[in-house]
Amino acid sequence: MSLLSALDRQHTVAPAGYSRWLIPPAALSVHLCIGQVYATSVYKNSFVQHFGVSQTAIGIIFSIAIVMLGLSAAIGGTWVEANGPRKAMFVSACFWATGFLVGALGIGTEQLWLVYLGYGVLGGIGLGIGYISPVSTLIKWFPDRPGLATGLAIMGFGGGALIASPLSRQLLSAYDAHYDPNVATSVASGGSLVWLFLTLGIGYFVIMMFGVANIRVPAPGWRPDGWDPSTVAKKPLVTTANVAAANAIKTRSFWLLWIVLFCNVTAGIGILEQASPMIQDFFRDNGVSSVSVAAAGGFVGVLSLFNMAGRFAWSSTSDLIGRKPIYMVYLGVGMVLYALLALTGSTATALFVLLAGVILSFYGGGFATVPAYLRDLFGTYQVGAIHGRLLTAWSAAGVAGPLIVNGFLDAQGKPGTLTASAYRPALFTMVGVLAIGFIANLLIRPVPERYHEPAQTTTPLEKEAAA
Amino acid sequence: MSVRLVISWLLVAVLLGYGIIETLITAVKLFE
Repeated sequence: MSLLSALDRQHTVAPAGYSRWLIPPAALSVHLCIGQVYATSVYKNSFVQHFGVSQTAIGIIFSIAIVMLGLSAAIGGTWVEANGPRKAMFVSACFWATGFLVGALGIGTEQLWLVYLGYGVLGGIGLGIGYISPVSTLIKWFPDRPGLATGLAIMGFGGGALIASPLSRQLLSAYDAHYDPNVATSVASGGSLVWLFLTLGIGYFVIMMFGVANIRVPAPGWRPDGWDPSTVAKKPLVTTANVAAANAIKTRSFWLLWIVLFCNVTAGIGILEQASPMIQDFFRDNGVSSVSVAAAGGFVGVLSLFNMAGRFAWSSTSDLIGRKPIYMVYLGVGMVLYALLALTGSTATALFVLLAGVILSFYGGGFATVPAYLRDLFGTYQVGAIHGRLLTAWSAAGVAGPLIVNGFLDAQGKPGTLTASAYRPALFTMVGVLAIGFIANLLIRPVPERYHEPAQTTTPLEKEAAA
Repeated sequence: MSVRLVISWLLVAVLLGYGIIETLITAVKLFE
């Protein structure tokens, strides 16, 4: 059997007795690696110094990667469903690692466009394919607890930044004796950045291969011990029918869910992107902030932990209370928390951190719960491909969230002089954004029967058996 | 199978554990 055919879906069917608990760590080994994309700020200043360009020019690297994530997930979703998770993870690892290697070449030769092409375009494709690759497989292995399963994997995407941030700082310190990550103005040399990218590219490829080796699709007809499929149909808004990706995007429910995800991400990303200066501004008196730069960095770390924990905790909770109710919590309670943050956030640091932390846990929960919501609405048939199309909401929110916050803040004054009151217009706008998402969630209804696949063609496992 | 399970989860635990501990060390500065 050639290497490439070993990656095919039909050669990935699990033998009898294969533990389904091998699938979450396989998924995590991919998501923990690609989550590095949220840790690019660690070496941003070093890039600015090395290439001699503006912050914006370097920020474009991240933007290209996120846009490519959305596009590749949307376009490649059907391919991922057809070829199976193992081939998808392998392709993702190749793109992700090659992105770092081409990026290293760009840094070494001082060609910024090569970094755009490498980390941005190639790495971004690896991100998109890798993000959706294990999702539908997890849902098929855990039909009894899809929220827990996808929450575990997507928690890894949040965890990836927790790993990559300190690791990158430590590697840069090891490669460049003059670089001190504890000094805000210290920048790493170009040579150390090259070695960082080479190390990360090779290291991530090796770790992702663990996922490639362990991932399996369940055998036709497999179900968890003691699980009764009829219990699924008894829950409101949960279908036992299946909808193809091409039909899913013609339904009202898909676009309502797109709006829900867009609103939830827009609100969360607004805080996430501005976290460090935001806490300093909230506690500024007579032009001086009582929160130091180091403490603001600690706040970013706290938010990352809430973001990661929310992905697992809230998504698992959705298995118990249902997908629509949990989004009512994310969006409804989120509105209250945003208003409280605007009105009372500046009274105490602990209150500010708690409010922002819970908001970020809802942000993470929204990402992690959406695959299970899609499963409920559209079935398991092409849920990965539908998820890929839905992630375009993430790309759009990645543009809208920072635009809203920065637009309001620019009108209020210069960075370093702002206070809590300067944030109120932006925060109340986010309350409105969440209200739109809340209404959209309320309007979601079961998909009409005319969009359902004929019964004999719906089960992918049966298709695999036939193949 | 059980060895494979242990190694798989151990890899995840080491990676995530490292990230969480390092982040907590940074986060402590918020309350110093």
